Amino acid sequence: MDNRMLMTPPGSPIILIPAHNEQDTVGAVVQQIRRLGDWPVVVIDDCSSDDTARVARAAGATVLPLAIQLGAWGATQTGLRYALAGGYPAAVTVDADGQHDPASIPDLLAPLAAGEADVVIGAFPARASRNLRWAWAYFRLLTGLRIEDITSGFRAYGAAAIAVLASHEASLLDYQDVGVLLILRRKGLRLAEAPVDMNPRTAGRSRIFHSWWAVSRFLLQTSILGIARIGFKPASDRRDDPD
Amino acid sequence: MTYHITSALLGLTIAFGILFLVRRDHLHGPYAVWWLGVAVIAVLLGLFPHITDWLALRAGVGYPPILVIVLGFGLLLIKILTMDLERSRQERQIRRLAQRLALLEVQRPPETTPPDPPA
Repeated sequence: MDNRMLMTPPGSPIILIPAHNEQDTVGAVVQQIRRLGDWPVVVIDDCSSDDTARVARAAGATVLPLAIQLGAWGATQTGLRYALAGGYPAAVTVDADGQHDPASIPDLLAPLAAGEADVVIGAFPARASRNLRWAWAYFRLLTGLRIEDITSGFRAYGAAAIAVLASHEASLLDYQDVGVLLILRRKGLRLAEAPVDMNPRTAGRSRIFHSWWAVSRFLLQTSILGIARIGFKPASDRRDDPD
Repeated sequence: MTYHITSALLGLTIAFGILFLVRRDHLHGPYAVWWLGVAVIAVLLGLFPHITDWLALRAGVGYPPILVIVLGFGLLLIKILTMDLERSRQERQIRRLAQRLALLEVQRPPETTPPDPPA
């Protein structure tokens, strides 16, 4: 990617919203974010069959249209590649369903700006059902990650994290949570958590925790990821091709 | 003599099927090499089934046909494993390509996106 796609001067964080068939909520989310700050807002349209792209554009977002559905992580990574190409110093991922309260975005960005962390995860433990709590505890045990809201998609990534996650290495992940955190840890990046607000009305809904079949697949795939990485030491000396 | 005919027919059918597909360009280069190898082995074992007996004797296998089955099964496993490796590589490439396409498309204003074909 060259620098021609640089849309706004670097310095400002970029807001990334992966969206698949979210025409009812994505417009409000974009408008809310634009009222809060002068950040560029990018909606990654994950091959929606509804009006998501048009609604997002009308609300003032830049839309990255995916030709095939890549899932939440594939869409997020598209946004991170965009952020990398544009030279943005930070990227915040926000769900398009209105679950994440944009008012918490500055809370996520603060530890990055202070140089305290490379990635900040927005934590809202109150949303967790009993099953989700169980899953979190299991993943913490399996991976050794010391993060409470391990599956939160409300995160801020600094420049180093953006570069790592935009790479080929992160392209075969199917879920945006544990596998992503494991890659970041392996690269020696610092993870931190910040308490955020989430909309309790929609925060309970999850793309994964709605059917037993989806949950089982998620648990199995993520377990394999976790087990396969046992013994990998955090290393920051390994290098990857940018693209 | 009849089992010789059956075996030869089987071997030749497999080999000619593969040759047909390779000649029609249905198989990408590296795969064509593998399958031509399979065709050669199918012809050899089909025309000279005693090769199996000879091999089994050397390998200390008491029941020669099982040697063919075990070897065939092992090769199939290897083949399937490499297929999944290849599919994973392609999946990565497809995802990168779709993302690259989205990054390129965003540089054009929305009104220049190709219109739907006229009804």
